[in-house]
Amino acid sequence: MNKKRIYPQWFLIVPLVLYILFFLTPSILGVFYSFTDWNARSLGETNFVGLQNYIEIFTSNKNYTSGIFNTLKFTVVSNIVKLIPALFIAIMLQEGLKGKNVYRTILYLPSILPFLIIGLTFKSIFNYNTGLLNSFLDALHLGFLKQKWLSDLGMVWKSIFGVDAWRGIGYVMTIFLAGLNTIPKSYYEAAEIDGANFWQRVRHITLPMLSGAIMINLVFGLTYGLKVFDIVYVLTNGGPGHATEVITTYAYQFYSTGQYGMSTALNSILLVITAVIGVVVVKVMSRQEVQQ
Amino acid sequence: MRRKLISALLCASMAAALMAGCGDSGKDAKETSTSKSESQEGTASSGSDSNTDFAGEELSIMVSAGWMDNRYDETIKRFEDTYDVTVDLQTIPADQYGDLLSSKLTTDSCADIFWIQSNPFAIASQIVDPEKYCIDFSDEEWKSLIPETRLSACEYEGKLYGLQIWHNSPEYVMVYNKTMFEEMNLKVPTTYEELLDVCQKISDEGVTPWFVPGADGWQHQLAFFQIGGAYEDDQPGLYEKLNNNEATFADNQLMIKVLEQYKELSDKGYFGEDWIGTDSTNMINEFGDRNVAMALANSSTIKQIKDETGTTDEFGLFLEPLGGNNSFPSSPAGPTMFGYKGTAHPELVKEFFRFVTTTESLQEILDNSPAYTNLHVNDDKLEQHWLPEEEEFMSTLTDEQMKTPVLQNGTKYTNDYWMQFGQDMVAYCTGQMEANDVLKNMDTNRAEAAKVAQDPAWN
Repeated sequence: MNKKRIYPQWFLIVPLVLYILFFLTPSILGVFYSFTDWNARSLGETNFVGLQNYIEIFTSNKNYTSGIFNTLKFTVVSNIVKLIPALFIAIMLQEGLKGKNVYRTILYLPSILPFLIIGLTFKSIFNYNTGLLNSFLDALHLGFLKQKWLSDLGMVWKSIFGVDAWRGIGYVMTIFLAGLNTIPKSYYEAAEIDGANFWQRVRHITLPMLSGAIMINLVFGLTYGLKVFDIVYVLTNGGPGHATEVITTYAYQFYSTGQYGMSTALNSILLVITAVIGVVVVKVMSRQEVQQ
Repeated sequence: MRRKLISALLCASMAAALMAGCGDSGKDAKETSTSKSESQEGTASSGSDSNTDFAGEELSIMVSAGWMDNRYDETIKRFEDTYDVTVDLQTIPADQYGDLLSSKLTTDSCADIFWIQSNPFAIASQIVDPEKYCIDFSDEEWKSLIPETRLSACEYEGKLYGLQIWHNSPEYVMVYNKTMFEEMNLKVPTTYEELLDVCQKISDEGVTPWFVPGADGWQHQLAFFQIGGAYEDDQPGLYEKLNNNEATFADNQLMIKVLEQYKELSDKGYFGEDWIGTDSTNMINEFGDRNVAMALANSSTIKQIKDETGTTDEFGLFLEPLGGNNSFPSSPAGPTMFGYKGTAHPELVKEFFRFVTTTESLQEILDNSPAYTNLHVNDDKLEQHWLPEEEEFMSTLTDEQMKTPVLQNGTKYTNDYWMQFGQDMVAYCTGQMEANDVLKNMDTNRAEAAKVAQDPAWN
């Protein structure tokens, strides 16, 4: 019996009210205030200033645009350094590896730790003079590998990506593992009988069948990357100098100095970037679903 | 029909739960607190045992690292025991404190007591609306404890909001290892060229010439700001012009020169291998181990080095010679404690301020402060511990050298962007910015702060 379940439309009222009240209204208000001179002193007498905040962001000698560029860079690179290793680790753990459950747990554990704790811990580990990492390299007589992990312009982003990957790979891997579990074993058995090697099986069975999990990880990764704040703030606070400033660290600086209009303008830019990327990803996903 | 009824009931209960959640619990808390306060006032005025009135309450204090350290521990412990309360001391890393405090104040979620690095302009620019955020202490007896020169950093529009318990030692002058200098036949540098020469000779001996803890985020920029007297000597009336928006940091040739000198020292490695990533945690030991020869520090650092490392080396003080400076960094500023007006325990907060200003507490604070040799308060019963090095150094200075306050406390809105300027200095030293852009940013920041403060000179 195929019984259609159609629920009354007024079921939507409560979630819709919640959505409008706690998401839509603040978002619209945020965009509105980005066109004003709202600041800590002007509560109640906020003036409309048109595009002045946006012009300031794109033309100021403070180079806020580097924050936008760094945010995009973080989004792209952090996804790459997590997705690829996590995929291969998941495939390896899916194979008949002894003690694979222990490895899965160990790899997943960092993702349940708060960013603040991770940031402070790694900040201490990365200290050039007293940090664990350089001391360890010294102890192994590998002093030539010592680095100024968080204060060298050529190294600081690598350190951030490293810490981010250390925390995030386990989470991404878990989603891949869930996807791998849905692939019927018979496909692999048939491929083996046909003489396919490991890489051929990965390329022609695993990757196409995992496209859903890859897309989920990509969407999560993109949204995470675009709104990155805590890991950068705790590890470098945007430094050395302004080398690792992202949109949110600048927005936070504005907010904390009482320049709410500028802060909301930066957040509105982030909203636009996220929306554009979101639309592209949804379109690509829809197209893939149609093809499948 | 039955399903519809259940659905409707569920929706109604969700909405009810939501409304309950949105209820103004803060108001309730305030009402409770008000009645509690009223009852406390009543009890206190009736002369009963007021110490027990606060039993079980929790007092939160939010402070930047380095402003209280362990020196208040014993006093806080005694306060807890006396009043049967708990003090929650929230020490925030210095590089995050300013941002966090502003956020806490603007979101009405501040600790009962908070601190700022105050100066005569700081209350208006950092707290912005002291009437809204700070408890008025104008009628408190401890007001007379604060020296006249420090009152301006604690008052705003005639009302007393802050309590500044700070020392009167030379702050952030050059501390150097006199014994090492003698062993290397070095003379105290009085010009930048002499400083370069001294640094080179010290560096040749495998010792870091000038310890700069850049990772703290707030120390390295002192080298630029502590020599305010040099900028004022170079352009008499500069401070007044900066305060009236008639002059800028940008294009100030001496300021550019000082930044260039600083970068040169950095590029030559005289600040150590990784000064940007080094914090001050290990500075005392580095002095004790003779790994460093100089640092821009407080005079009491000498006491700390001797006490904590047991070194037999002698130390001395000299004026920072960047930019040809010959002025002493006079400063009417210091970390200052404020009571948060939105607190649920206003009477307990007031009691804490009274408690720390007793002679017993002040002596305790001073005695537990390896970094203090004295407290600048009007209390004759307090036993100070001035160092001979401090007295020797101060005796060499003239009144003329001490007349100009440091740049960050003598000019409006400058100190508010202390951390950002520090970031810009690092950006300049690592080639991300030009020297004049660092100064332009300070002008932009000051203008923004002035706009927020509705300063007529900028509007």
